[in-house]
Amino acid sequence: MAALSLCSSLTPKFSHSQQNPTPISSKFNLSSSSFLSHSLSSLTLNSRKPPHTLSFVPKSNGTDTEVALAEPENPEAQPVIETVEPKREEVFAVVMVGGRQYIVFPGRFIYTQRLKGADVNDKITLNKVLLVGTKTSTYIGKPIVPNAAVHAIVEEQTLDKKVIVFKYKKKKNYRRNIGHRQPITRIRITSITGYQDSPFVTL
Amino acid sequence: MNKKEVFKLAKGFRGRAKNCIRIARERVEKALQYSYRDRRNKKRDMRSLWIQRINAGTRDHGVNYGNFMHGLMKENIQLNRKVLSELSMHEPYSFKALVDISRSAFPGNKAVVPPKKEGLAILV
Repeated sequence: MAALSLCSSLTPKFSHSQQNPTPISSKFNLSSSSFLSHSLSSLTLNSRKPPHTLSFVPKSNGTDTEVALAEPENPEAQPVIETVEPKREEVFAVVMVGGRQYIVFPGRFIYTQRLKGADVNDKITLNKVLLVGTKTSTYIGKPIVPNAAVHAIVEEQTLDKKVIVFKYKKKKNYRRNIGHRQPITRIRITSITGYQDSPFVTL
Repeated sequence: MNKKEVFKLAKGFRGRAKNCIRIARERVEKALQYSYRDRRNKKRDMRSLWIQRINAGTRDHGVNYGNFMHGLMKENIQLNRKVLSELSMHEPYSFKALVDISRSAFPGNKAVVPPKKEGLAILV
């Protein structure tokens, strides 16, 4: 818990400047440059960091550990590849599918209970959106966010890994060995829309 | 189950239980019974863990778990404990918004005094 509070206290400092007189943050600088062990020009890369850290740090919706992971990865990728990823909006939603709730990000996939009647590469809209969070505001649904929708594509309709259901009663010579594979569906989330007009809380 | 399947399931067992069929068969049957029972226990344990995490998160803001959930139920917010615990860990600002909503819906917590820090913790 102390380590987490350290991270959260450090992230605002990173947004201001790389050089900080305080000993704790300078130690943090050293440890982050040790990640870039193979790059000689680590200092120049650090000086180029501010444009990237600004894009990550203001997303202070928690994700402190993700910031610590992103920083060493970014400068490594810069000299190697200059491909530009399509700018994905940083938003998440809590959606209810198959009786279960999932935290969902655009571009990632989730496994849900089998959706009957959905074929591969079908577009799907999930309407039961309970919460939407962006970098600056949170839309809390009571119980759902009105007009919000999460769009997804069905990727795969498979069976889950096998579990062995073994039933046994001692001294009664009763043994049953049954295998079970639950049908599941993998869906890839493409976008989260329709939440802009709802009441929100600014962070 | 034939012997090959039994030995496959007995990987990592201690001593003769991974090598000798008579002992392995007993241990494997026991292991499968435990896994049947624990698939049901896991659901209970996870819920207990989520509740502990939500409790910790809300007490940072001066609200305890019981009053927090009561406030959410009153406001008809149907987020489950799994999602609430994830939000309390990774999305602190959204979680604070939820705590504020719950507090306004159901007040009834005394002002929280932060715990006294002793020793090296004072420096943090």
